[in-house]
Amino acid sequence: MTGNQSNNFMRKAVLAVAGLVLFYLCLYWINTQWDAYKVRILNLCAIYIGITLGLNLCNGFAGQFSLGIAGFMAVGAYTTALLTMSPQIKRAVYFIEPLISPLNSIQWGFLPSLIVAGLVSGLVGFAVGAPAIRFRDDYLGISTLGFAEIIRVVFTNTTHITNGALGLKGIPPHTNLYWSWTFALLCVFVMVRLTNSSYGRALKAIRDDEVAAEAMGVNLFYHKCLAFVVSATMAGIGGGLLGNLITTIDPNMFRFPLTFTVLMMAVLGGLGSITGSVISATVITIAMEALRVLEEPRVVLGIFLPGIPGMRMVVFSIALMLVILFYPKGFMGDRELGLDSFRNLAARFRRTFSHKQV
Amino acid sequence: MSKNNDSVLVCENIGMQFGGLAAVRNFDISIPNRALYGLIGPNGAGKTTVFNIISGVLSPTAGRVKLFGEDITGLTPDEIAKRGVARTFQNIRLFRDLTVLDNVLVGHHLRRKATLGEALLALPRYRKEESGMMHTSRELLEAVGLKDVAHYRASALPYGQQRRLEIARALATKPKVLLLDEPAAGMNPAETEQLMQLILDIRDRFNLSILLIEHEMKVVMNICEHITVLDHGEIIAEGTPSEIQSNERVIKAYLGGGTIARH
Repeated sequence: MTGNQSNNFMRKAVLAVAGLVLFYLCLYWINTQWDAYKVRILNLCAIYIGITLGLNLCNGFAGQFSLGIAGFMAVGAYTTALLTMSPQIKRAVYFIEPLISPLNSIQWGFLPSLIVAGLVSGLVGFAVGAPAIRFRDDYLGISTLGFAEIIRVVFTNTTHITNGALGLKGIPPHTNLYWSWTFALLCVFVMVRLTNSSYGRALKAIRDDEVAAEAMGVNLFYHKCLAFVVSATMAGIGGGLLGNLITTIDPNMFRFPLTFTVLMMAVLGGLGSITGSVISATVITIAMEALRVLEEPRVVLGIFLPGIPGMRMVVFSIALMLVILFYPKGFMGDRELGLDSFRNLAARFRRTFSHKQV
Repeated sequence: MSKNNDSVLVCENIGMQFGGLAAVRNFDISIPNRALYGLIGPNGAGKTTVFNIISGVLSPTAGRVKLFGEDITGLTPDEIAKRGVARTFQNIRLFRDLTVLDNVLVGHHLRRKATLGEALLALPRYRKEESGMMHTSRELLEAVGLKDVAHYRASALPYGQQRRLEIARALATKPKVLLLDEPAAGMNPAETEQLMQLILDIRDRFNLSILLIEHEMKVVMNICEHITVLDHGEIIAEGTPSEIQSNERVIKAYLGGGTIARH
């Protein structure tokens, strides 16, 4: 039995390593062959996968309806930007009020900056989550939404740290496919391990019935904070990657529509499904770009249509409504897409096929 | 019988006031080890309130709850569960979207020693704990007769099985005292019969004390050793099943006062 188990483990480990090598070879190939626009979209896909998974942990698995994700992303993006920008650029960007020391003279590598960004937003996540999780459902949503707005207002007004409404420009473009997809992979790994562990079961128990979970000895405060902090950390690191990808950030980027976008990805994929989040974050990020044609003026059947900014969001809203109508729990519900589901599908297919022959 | 020395759970003079309403007044009970006690009374008598106080959902406005002599009054439900009091709910409260097995596994979580980091990296201590939990959970499911449906969603189970699952989940916390809130509600006679046997088995096998709220008199009178009757938040009678059955005040509380009977 143990021999069999360790054999199994070895096989899994070899498969995992082989898969990873293949994956990074693919990234390398894409990085050298594809044009910058497509690479950028792929980067965005990876970043949104990570952030959506974070939101899904809090809103989907633990059932804590939080709307503060944009706030955590802002914290992460600003932290990373402030740590990675060079002192010269900082001097140039902060022309109204100089940046306070020691931030004005430091420049860190990308990895430590991202780690610090994750820690800071995790900490903020705890500070926000600890009092807010006393609320339930819509009330929690409202209070966390309020928090995200507070973050934005604070960032707009602390000019000597964040450069206020002018935002930050000239952030070094550190983010590449390796960084963003490593982040996405790590998020998937953490989510898979966490949700299948007994901690994950406790989170799902809280989602299904808080009173019963507490009566079974689940510490509500600890587990809700856990969901909040992990979620905020993922959003923070994702925000940091995003900032160093687009190289310009300002407080208005982190308004409610950003939270809405991430929430839409999680809901369409299915709250409580990891593969659902991955698929839907990828599809929506690509669709966001593909649907840009809708906003451009063009001639259809001889009729001139002016471009309407925001048409993309109309399409997404309609898509969201349709999905809620036909798949109330999102495309995946709380199921996962894995080898097993393919096997089941194949089995079902075979069965129907053999039926027809009889 | 000495009342306090060998008692597992003791309620002293508990009172619960909701605004102007006294839901429970001067409630005393002392449950010995391996005892099977019943708590009965008409609807609204305050039985579930007593359960909520013992399990920490409510904090009593008067009196103390003691478990093995330790004062547990006002602790949070999860702390009380850790100290060895488990319960089921009158209106079934399962983790609906989890599998039957996962429901029971949640009950084990409070004894988890492996940290979050160990769980994320699947380190040996976590894996060992997990397989141990899996093993005991399957045993528990077998004990309540749900082994074959272990991978069903809890919400997919028929009513009687959901009640059994609640009991299995409560047992997973390794309680010293088990509070069962109307376990036979909604069961047919055959299921009720099985349930009575199950409750007796559980008591013997897991070596615990059981306090039971039940409206089904057949269950209470057959398996309880001692019954406490509540009416309007106050204890109106205590004693063995036969004493309770012949008690004037109990009959009056259940069937109404003499004036109505004569009318």
